[in-house]
Parts: sequence; C-alpha cells; structure tokens
Amino acid sequence: MRNSKAAEEIISVGIDIGTSTTKLVISRFSLMNMAGTSHVPRIEIIDKEVIYESPIFRTPLLSATEIDMNEVEKLVVSQYEKAGISAEEIKTGAVIITGETATKSNAQEMIHHLSDHAGEFLVATAGPDLEGIIAAKGSGAHAYSEEFNKTIANIDIGGGTANTAVYRNGELLGTCTLHIGGKLIEMRDDRIQYISPALENVCSRLGVSLEIGSLYAELDSKKITDYMASVIARMLRKELTDADKDLLLGHEPSWEGNIDTIMFSGGVSECIYKLEKNDEEARAMYGDIGMLLASSLTGSTDLSEWQWLAPNETVRATVLGAGTQTTEISGVTIQVDTDVLPLKNLPVYNIDFTNDFEHGMQKLPALIEEGVQIFDPNREGQNFALYLSDVPLIGFRDIQRLARTIVEAAQKKPVPRQPLVIVLERDLAKALGQTINTQYKEQSAVCVDQIRVEHGDYLDIGRLLQSGVVPVVVKTLAFH
Amino acid sequence: MDLDPTLVEKVTKLVLSKLEEPTSNEPSTEEQEVKIWNHQTASPEATTISSSAKEENVDGNVAFSPFPTEGRTVKRVKEPAESSDHGHPHKKHNVKQEEAPSDELKELMSKTPARIGVGRVGPRPKTNTWLKFRYDHAAAVDAVSGEVTGSILDSLKLFTVQTKVTDNDIYIRRPDYGRRLSDEAKKLIKETCKFQPEVQIIVSDGLSSKAVEENVEDVYLSLEQSLNSLGFDVGTPFYIEKGRVAVMDDVGELLQPRVVILLIGERPGLVSAESLSAYMCYEPRHGTIEADRMVVSNIHSGGIPPVEAGAYLGSVVEKIMKYEASGVSLVQKEQ
Repeated sequence: MRNSKAAEEIISVGIDIGTSTTKLVISRFSLMNMAGTSHVPRIEIIDKEVIYESPIFRTPLLSATEIDMNEVEKLVVSQYEKAGISAEEIKTGAVIITGETATKSNAQEMIHHLSDHAGEFLVATAGPDLEGIIAAKGSGAHAYSEEFNKTIANIDIGGGTANTAVYRNGELLGTCTLHIGGKLIEMRDDRIQYISPALENVCSRLGVSLEIGSLYAELDSKKITDYMASVIARMLRKELTDADKDLLLGHEPSWEGNIDTIMFSGGVSECIYKLEKNDEEARAMYGDIGMLLASSLTGSTDLSEWQWLAPNETVRATVLGAGTQTTEISGVTIQVDTDVLPLKNLPVYNIDFTNDFEHGMQKLPALIEEGVQIFDPNREGQNFALYLSDVPLIGFRDIQRLARTIVEAAQKKPVPRQPLVIVLERDLAKALGQTINTQYKEQSAVCVDQIRVEHGDYLDIGRLLQSGVVPVVVKTLAFH
Repeated sequence: MDLDPTLVEKVTKLVLSKLEEPTSNEPSTEEQEVKIWNHQTASPEATTISSSAKEENVDGNVAFSPFPTEGRTVKRVKEPAESSDHGHPHKKHNVKQEEAPSDELKELMSKTPARIGVGRVGPRPKTNTWLKFRYDHAAAVDAVSGEVTGSILDSLKLFTVQTKVTDNDIYIRRPDYGRRLSDEAKKLIKETCKFQPEVQIIVSDGLSSKAVEENVEDVYLSLEQSLNSLGFDVGTPFYIEKGRVAVMDDVGELLQPRVVILLIGERPGLVSAESLSAYMCYEPRHGTIEADRMVVSNIHSGGIPPVEAGAYLGSVVEKIMKYEASGVSLVQKEQ
C-alpha cells in the first residue's frame, strides 16, 4: 500500500548470501513527518512495501572454500535489472553473509565489494549474533514479542548454522548460535559427498560412522538429526552439556529467564512450513539432510514443551530482515557535513555522563584518547563514533564548552582533522554540531541524535535525505 | 489575583496541622469508614479502612517546598516506616492497596505525563495526586500572573517596552490591547532599533513569564549563533511586556524586517507551566492573516531542549527567507 501523504520514498535492498542459498529483496520505504504541525518534525518510516523478491539461488562457489564473487555480482545485477532499478537509486539496505559462507576465505572481500558496488549505502553485516537478530526480525518473531508481551526464541536454521535470538516485549534478551544445519551432510547419487568437520565428534559419540563416498543410510543420519533437535532443546533451556558444546559456535546462550514460544525460520523451516510456491524442485535438489532435520524437529518430544508459532517467512526471513528491518531514521534536528557521508563501519565508543555534566567534562579528553587506543592501536587513522549518553539538559554556554573540549581532544587523534562523528542520546545534536561548525570551521563534523546505540556497536550513516534526516544502520555486536 | 502568598501558606499549614492531629482529640466524631477499590488489580474486592488511615497518606508527604522539579514523574505514595505502624491494625489493608502497577500499566504510564494509574479513594483522587494537581494548577496561575525578572533581560541586553495593556486584568480581558504597542514603545523602538534588518528577534512573556525566565536565554543565544553562521543581518532585539502573538504586526510596520521571530510564553498547562513558543512570520504587517504565521512550540526541559530549538529555528528562518513566505504559504510554495 502506498501512502500518498508520504514526504519521501526511499529504496532499500537486502542481500543474503547463505551457506546454500542466496537471495535478494527490494523494498520501498515511505517516510513521513509524524509530529504535530506546531512541533519540530519527527520523520518516521511509516510503510515498508516489498517491491521485488528474487528467486532462491544456489550460492555460487568456486571451490569448497571460495565464493564465486563474479557470479554473485552478476546475480545481483541481473536481479536489479529485473526489478527495474539501478544501484544509484538504492538509498539504504544491508548485505549479509551468513552461516558457513561467512567462513569462506574471500567472505570479507565479497561483502565489502558488494557493499561498495551494489548501492551507495549498502551496509556490510556478518556475525552469527547479528544473523540471528536479523532473522528474528524478518520472521516476525520480534514483532510478535512486542505485540503479545511474550518471550519468544527465533531459531533460524539454514545450511550451516542455527542462529537463535530471544526477544521479550520487543527487547533483545540474548543470542546463541549452534553448528546445526541442513548442509552439514551432503549427498549425490545416494553417496555421501560432504561431512562437516563439526560433526566428527558427534558421529563417533553416537556410534555412527559416516564416510565420504560411502552409501547414504537415512537411519544413521536420522540419529544425528534427532541429536541435533535435542541439542536445540537443551540450548533453549540453557542446559547444554559439555558434549553438546562441540556444536556451539561462539558464546553460550546469553539470555535470562524462560522462553514461552519458539519459532523456526530459515531453509530448514521451509521444509516444515512449505511457504515457497515454486520451491518443490529446489528442496529436492538440495541433496542434504535438511528434510531429515525438519522431521526430527517436528517429531521431537523435547521441543514440544514450548508453544510453536509458524513464521511469516521461512527461507527468506534473513534477507527480509536485512532489507527491511535494519535501517533507522535519525532525528530531524541534526547537523551533518554532507561531504563526508556515507560513513561505514564506525565502531561506537560510549562516554557516559551519568547525568553529571562537570564530571563528564573532566573525563572526556582522557576517554577520547582511550577510544583511540582501543579502536586505532596502531594509529592508522581508524575513525570511531563518540556516543554521549546520559548528558543532562544543558544550556548554550555548556554546549560551547562541550564543543571546545571535544574538538581539542580530537586533535590528539592520529588524523587530527578526521570527521568527528558524535551520536547523542539527548536531542542536542543540532546545537552541538552547529557550535562546532561555527567555532571550528576547519573541523568537519557529523552530529546525529535519536538513535539507540551501545558501546561496541558498529554504525553506518547514509547520505542526507530530502526530509533532512539520515538513514542509519546500527549493527549490534554487544553480546558476549 | 492579589492573594497574599504568606497568608495562603499560613492557612494551608493550619488545615494540614488539623489533619495531622490524632482523631481521638476531636470530640465525638464517629470513626467513618471509607471503601477503597484498587483499580490496578483485577480483583473486584474493596478494602475498608477507617478514616484515620487517610492521615497515613497525608502524613509526611505534603511538602510545600521544594516540590520535585521534574514535574512529570508521578510521585507515588510512600509507606511510612514499619515503626510508625503501632496501633494501626488497618495498616495491612493499606499495604495491599499500594500494590505495584502491572507491567502493562507501567508501560502506559511511562509513555505519558498525563495523570494515569494514580489510583483513587472512593470517588476522589488520592491525597497526593490531588495535592500535585493543585500544585500544578497553582504553578500555572503563577506563570500567567508573574513578571519576568530584569536580570535575564539585562544579560541578553534586551530593553523593555509596553503594549497598550496597563495591568494584568486588562491583559486577560482585552487580548486586542496585547496586540498593539503603546505610543511610548513605538517611539523608543524607532529610536533604538536598526531599521529593515533581515531578521528581527523579539521576546514577550505572553501567558507565561516562567517560560521566558527558564528558556529564553538558551533559545536566544543558540538562535543568534545559528543566524550569524547563516550570515543573516539580525536587528536590535527587545522585550515586550504583556504581548500577544500578533504584536509582531506592529513591529513589522515599524521596523520592516523580512522575518520576525517572537519568543513568547505559552498558555500554561498542568504538565508544564514553562513552555515557550517561537512564532515566525515573513514580513508581518497589519492585516497579516494567522495562516501565514508559523510556530515551533513545546520548547522546555520536557519538550525540545531550548538550545536545540534555537539551532533549529535558524534553519526554519533560512527556509522562510528562501521561499519568501511563512506558514501555509510556505508549505504551498515548497510543493
């Protein structure tokens, strides 16, 4: 549905390069001023309309360890053409590389190449926690938790990994990633062609001997997928055994409290819910244990202790999340040096004023220096964003002091005149940015507010839109 | 209007001390019972408490000064310490009655400064809620009748002129007087102010002197910085006592600026008595229609921060100058 009253429309794209499949989604966001006429405008995304969904492609690989970059780029370009849009029209979006694909030798190169060439502000994202978060937003789990005040775990199982994100009331409680997926064992012509090294210990413990080239026996594989389903159940209960931890990728479950409801998304959930219309062939062609794993999940008594909820999206949850749920809109009263935008991948350094301005001012210079040491230890000029939180309501004279202190402290950075990127929790960005512009003309600065970030997040800031706001993508990695 | 504040305080204290006296001292009053419905729980049960429990709520909670400055937070009734509990067997009911609100209600309460979820006793609000209401109402009345102190105007180098209003009563009853400058004012403005500047800033107390005292310094300094950095020629600012929004038309006639910005106190409400508005108009003259004025309202500590508002107003002026229009005409030209 298009809203005729929208002030502005922007095109967003999401690209998901997964272990087994690659897909793309293009959507149109409508922005509108939601504040009353006598108030300072507040621009919000009021509508998101998916205008193009690509078919599900097999992820092009050059070898077991290398992604075929040319093929991926060709694929993306061909889909843009089909959708009738050009890369220049794309104002925001994210490309995410997920599951085992993220471990390929040229994964980094691939994602940054696409981020630079497939749109002017396409954010590169990766990492198992972020995958889980984005999938939970695309599947509808996040929205459900917000609407019904429930604790829900979204388990996105693709070819290589199962990424879990737990939400309550719209708030992220924690994440966990397991080495569980449909493509950990692959077959061709009834013979086993590939076994993921992650399964080695599991096989020997279950007394299953699988060898490459040997005849595929469903019974043996079923033992493995049944085990996987039970590990997922123990993960949800936060009762992973030491043996289970062979399948753990990264940290243990990081949420507090119990889960009410579970939702499965990803390729394996497609085998359960069959939401894709033309995917019958695709499923057959997978030649892996995806179907088997799906039947182990549905048959598991362990997993039946939770309420199951069908996802809005299965295999497309992550791409939809990346394309429609990653972009935020800044406040209107901001001050940005348009020449330096877009800015990508800035680590966020939080300076907490704890509502005490004088105290905050005292420690500010030392903290900025500390930020340089953390994010740019070799003094190569890696920039970072300052996030000023819990700043009390300050007046004009204090804004002047704040500007001076920050600009002076920033002179000690390896590249002194690097653009200053400041994110404020309080609605003070315009006043601060304007003061820096007026008092220190040679200092370029980007000051934005009304964006929620945390220490350790990564921040991408797009170009100024007509409405006077900037699109911002915050990549939360703050889960330990 | 002319109530003696010390007298008011004296009387109130008298009433309260009366309330604080133990009921037993009062001759021959029967213990009245009050039923309390707790609307925050699903339980339809009403608890019955004796009249002396009412004092419990009042006791120790009435503070005349200073009242919490963050007027938005609803002060919850605090239970007196356990030790003061002796001899009040009904106390247990009272504890139950103070159950914390549910998560859903808390969320709703966090989203609005309106007085929701504050409970009630029988058909009336709780004492604290009622006192808070009276306090906020009194603050609103004070804001309307108060005067802006000279020091803030001096520090911003604003000289003062009058409208045709002679006293507060007339100001309320004759809005048209507040829209016209006095003859002395016109003379002084002509003598003192720069003629035909691009931007003319004026300040007026309007319906809230408190709004000007609390916010005008930061808005003004930030706006001045913003206009200077945008390269606008700013006229000589001044303060108009007891003005209304349309007084800017008189100023427009006299000085003929391109844009007038009037920083004026808003009609106080029960959430904030110190909210400031910035009215802007392109070439205001006698006969300017209201649709051509535009406003940024809600400038105070709980709305848009004053210093941020000043910075933002600069960009609004920039737009007005670019399109040579304000208000509805500006919106039409922008499309």
